[in-house]
Amino acid sequence: MCMKLKLRLLMLFFIVFIKIGSAQNLEIPELPTSITSLSFLERTEFKVSYFGNIFWNNGLNFGAEYLLIENEKVKNRKRGQRTNTHQFLLKGNLGFTTNFAAKTDTGVFTNYGVTWRRTNKKGKQFSIELNPLGYYRSFLPETYKVNGNNVEKVFLPGRGYYAPSISVGIGKQRPGKKITGRYFNINFMLRTPYNAGSLPAFNFEYGYRFNFKKKRDAKSNE
Amino acid sequence: MQKAMNNYSKIILLIIALWTVFSCSKDENLNNLDDTIYVRHKGADMPAYIHGNASEKIFLIILHGGPGGIGLSYRTNTIKSDIEKVCAVVYFDQRGSGMSQGSYNKNGISLDIMAEDVLALTKVIKHKYGNDSRFFLMGHSWGGLLGPATLLKDQSDFLGWINVAGSHNPKGMYFEYIENFKRVAPEQIDAENSIDFWQGALDLVNNVNPTQFNEDDGAKMNSKAHDAEEIFENDNLNTKGNYDSDKIVFKYNLFTMYWNTLNTQNILDNDLFRTVNYTDRLSEITIPSLVLWGRNDMVVPIKFAQDAFNNLGSTSKKLVFLENSGHSPMTNEGELFAVEVIQFINQNK
Repeated sequence: MCMKLKLRLLMLFFIVFIKIGSAQNLEIPELPTSITSLSFLERTEFKVSYFGNIFWNNGLNFGAEYLLIENEKVKNRKRGQRTNTHQFLLKGNLGFTTNFAAKTDTGVFTNYGVTWRRTNKKGKQFSIELNPLGYYRSFLPETYKVNGNNVEKVFLPGRGYYAPSISVGIGKQRPGKKITGRYFNINFMLRTPYNAGSLPAFNFEYGYRFNFKKKRDAKSNE
Repeated sequence: MQKAMNNYSKIILLIIALWTVFSCSKDENLNNLDDTIYVRHKGADMPAYIHGNASEKIFLIILHGGPGGIGLSYRTNTIKSDIEKVCAVVYFDQRGSGMSQGSYNKNGISLDIMAEDVLALTKVIKHKYGNDSRFFLMGHSWGGLLGPATLLKDQSDFLGWINVAGSHNPKGMYFEYIENFKRVAPEQIDAENSIDFWQGALDLVNNVNPTQFNEDDGAKMNSKAHDAEEIFENDNLNTKGNYDSDKIVFKYNLFTMYWNTLNTQNILDNDLFRTVNYTDRLSEITIPSLVLWGRNDMVVPIKFAQDAFNNLGSTSKKLVFLENSGHSPMTNEGELFAVEVIQFINQNK
């Protein structure tokens, strides 16, 4: 009984797999672009953004993205061909947020993951960022630890949390400029374990990307 | 050379002046404390916001309602304007509430552990402000349950207990809701006050399980009781609440706060309304006590005010009903509330 079920599931999996594969063959001729000729700095973009939810937490986020894979996908539409660039990037962030009205909500975070980004020919971008590796460290004001009758002041008080996150956003590419793009993301970060469970948090991200290599090129062109 | 000497001497004088000012500032600040400190205890980091006059080292610790409420919601009206002038008021975010954080499992949050947290808070205050610090404890609503739970562990450091509409008997709440609505609703209908609302309340309690606790029915009656607060205000039976929020909306991340509240209530409410009743143990509380209640409190009905007063073991105790107040007399009749609290503190400090 169990074996039969497994076989059926396996068959279903293969059918779906073949269907998706053949559909892709029919629809999208892929034109891989060579990125191997680009230098490390050319493949790396840096970014800085506002990070927070405006009302309570406000901060900055700094990051870097390394272009791992890039390909162009051409789709035939009624109005002609549409070419989109799809990129996979490795990324890392380091940021902080604080509530300026209170001393109780300050933290530094870092996260690492992958970004998938689609750019159309007008330079408009849509991206999804997955950061499975994330760490959030809260910083608290003066804190005293109580153990029985013993009270002692805590050095550098705060707590560390595993903090994976996901961001979905839009942006605009600015090819040939010092600032190579701007973006707006909605970020969802989970801090866990937090109290007796986890703490979800939504934040906005608005920022700019820049590339040191391009900046140098731009200077040399001036 | 002389010019350089002059410059150096000015800098040295400035440093000495600044040092003198700041070395004195600690004493001056005691008259008008504005501190936020965290208490780390059993896996939780809990903020205590301390404001007011600590020149006599008298601290009034306020235990918020909920469970899952927030400490600074009480820094309003006359607590801020009057009571903070008499003593330092400690607004405490309990475990799993407000901006408290930490890491513990579901067994790590209970009435018992939260009572220990309050005692831990007193130890921290003594450590920071001196062993001669003395305390009054005030509990509102759920805090009126946490207060007795704390005092029954150790009341030696406390000069007095102020019970404000405290639910020392959550187990009895369900059945008292039924009785209270059946008592109040006909009175209000006869007086032609918000007839539709009170008729709806009567219909509700006539259709709940009258013999056995039912969680859904309990939640509906609790919600109706909260609605009644606004009805009493609209009918001018309660003084309109005066909320001077102290920019509280910016101090607490509302998402974090509500998320904590939901989680904490989910854990604590399971047994609270089925099993917990401190009535029989109130006699063990022997410190001076003040019981303050709004006459029109439907959330924790006034029967519990008399129960608390009758059962407290204190030789010095007082019961005060504020006639135009509901569940939060500190906002309905802030001035009368402050008069009673300040008088109690002055008599027992």
